Formats: sequence, C-alpha cells, structure tokens
Amino acid sequence: MVEAVQIQLKKGVLELCVLALLSRGDSYAYEIASRLAEGIDMGEGTIYPLMRRMQDDGLVETYLVESSAGPSRKYYRLTEAGKASFIVQKSAWADFAKAVNDILGESK
Amino acid sequence: MTREAFIARLREGLRGLPTQAITELVADYDAHFAEAAAAGRSEADVARALGDPDRLARELRAEAGLKRWEEQRNPSAAASAVFAVLGLGAVDLLVLLPILMGVLGTLFGCFVAVVAIFIAGGVVFAAGPFAGFPGGPAAAILCGIGMMAGGASAGAILTLVSTALVNVLVWYGRLHYRLLKPAIEPQG
Repeated sequence: MVEAVQIQLKKGVLELCVLALLSRGDSYAYEIASRLAEGIDMGEGTIYPLMRRMQDDGLVETYLVESSAGPSRKYYRLTEAGKASFIVQKSAWADFAKAVNDILGESK
Repeated sequence: MTREAFIARLREGLRGLPTQAITELVADYDAHFAEAAAAGRSEADVARALGDPDRLARELRAEAGLKRWEEQRNPSAAASAVFAVLGLGAVDLLVLLPILMGVLGTLFGCFVAVVAIFIAGGVVFAAGPFAGFPGGPAAAILCGIGMMAGGASAGAILTLVSTALVNVLVWYGRLHYRLLKPAIEPQG
C-alpha cells in the first residue's frame, strides 16, 4: 500500500525534480539519474526516456562537452520554456503540499 | 550481464527503428555504463539497475510507434501504433488480438461500404437523369446528392470511431510499460 502510493507520488514529481536539478546548473544524464536514484529511489534507466520527452516538449536542450577522459558528455540545460515551467510547477507543488499538510495536520 | 551483452541485446531489440534513433538510444545507455564504470560500479550491477534490455527495447520501440501516432494522425501512423502495442507482447494483449482483428475487419468493411455508397451516389447523380431514373431527372440528382452526403457523413463518423479506438489502444498499451512507465506519463 505504502509502496503503491510512493510510486504514484514519484511519478508526478519526476519532471519537477529534473527541472529543479537543472535550474541549479547544467548536468548530464548519469548525474541526474544518480541524484534522483539516491534522493527518491527512482530506477536509473528511467531518466533517458524522461529526458527525451522533456527535450521533445522543449523544456530542455542538449550540448556536448569535450571530456578529458573518454567520449564527450551530453549536457542538458533548461530552455526559457523549461524555466517558466519550473516556476509554475514549483508553485503548484508548494500549494498542493501545503494543502495536503493542512489536511493531515487536522486529522491528528 | 556485461555491458557488451546489454548493448548488443538492446541494439538487436531496437531493430526497425530509424538508424539515427537507434544510434542515439544506444549511445545514451552506453554512456551510462561508461559513467558508472568511472564511478567504480560493476557492469553487472549497472545492467541489473537498468532492467531487462529486451523489455527495454520493446518499450522504447512501442513508445516510438505511439508517439508517431500522436504527432501525425494518419492511417499509417495508426497501423504503427497498433503494431507497437502488439509488439509489447503482453499476454492480455494477445488475448485481445482476435477481438481487435474482428473490430478492425468490421471497420474496414464499413469503410469499403461507405466508399461504395458514395461512388454509387455519384453515378446516380451523374448518369441517373439520362438513364430514365424512376421519378425523373430531378429525383435522380437529389437521390445522388443524398447518397453522397450520407456516405460522407458515415465516413466522418467512422473516422472518429477509428481514431478513438486507436487512442484507447495507445492508452491501454502504455499501461503495460514496466521500465518506462514513470518517465512517459505526461504530467501536469
């Protein structure tokens, strides 16, 4: 039961988490995946289809950075639409979390 | 499973997609292995975390087919969406297959009938006035127009029904994603 609820909750906030991470600085998929895997216990392979969808939606764009060791890395950065979407989603999340917390607080 | 085996099975499973899409997808997962290795993780560990490559390939391919349908709503994209969902190979989808074939056959039959009625209407409209249509030339023209209009509206309704049907199938197919699920659901 708790697990099912967590899956539902995570699903809703994955995109928001990625937007938040990228708003602090450009990053590459493995780093984003590691942060999300340790933070909210998300399957790490999930990141690639998610980034692809966000790219298709115009929220992020990619550029290649040469690496001293190994092949060049694909970095993601937020587009203007991505930044705008982050602001909207963040405040929607804050409102929602506050409303839920208020209700949870009442039931105590 | 080793990195090489994972990548080989993924590449094999993605066959049928455009070459560029395969290259990009494989590059993503290959880079993932490289980064993980740099972080000191074993290939077997990473492969386990990523999940079954055959399953992953099936879902990635299905998603490509479904996305094509959402971007361009035409019969060929509809067909690729239907095949994409069937390609997931879930057991209850295979149970669905005979029903689906029946429905598709019926729809196709209806389309043929609609086209036939439309053409027949055209013939009555054009040739009826000269061929001694019962009721005279005016009745033939009106009757022809009526048949063509009826055919056209039935065709429009059929198109709506088919589109809705494919949409339901796409939704149903996506319910069967296991590996991609959290990433694909549109949010907001």
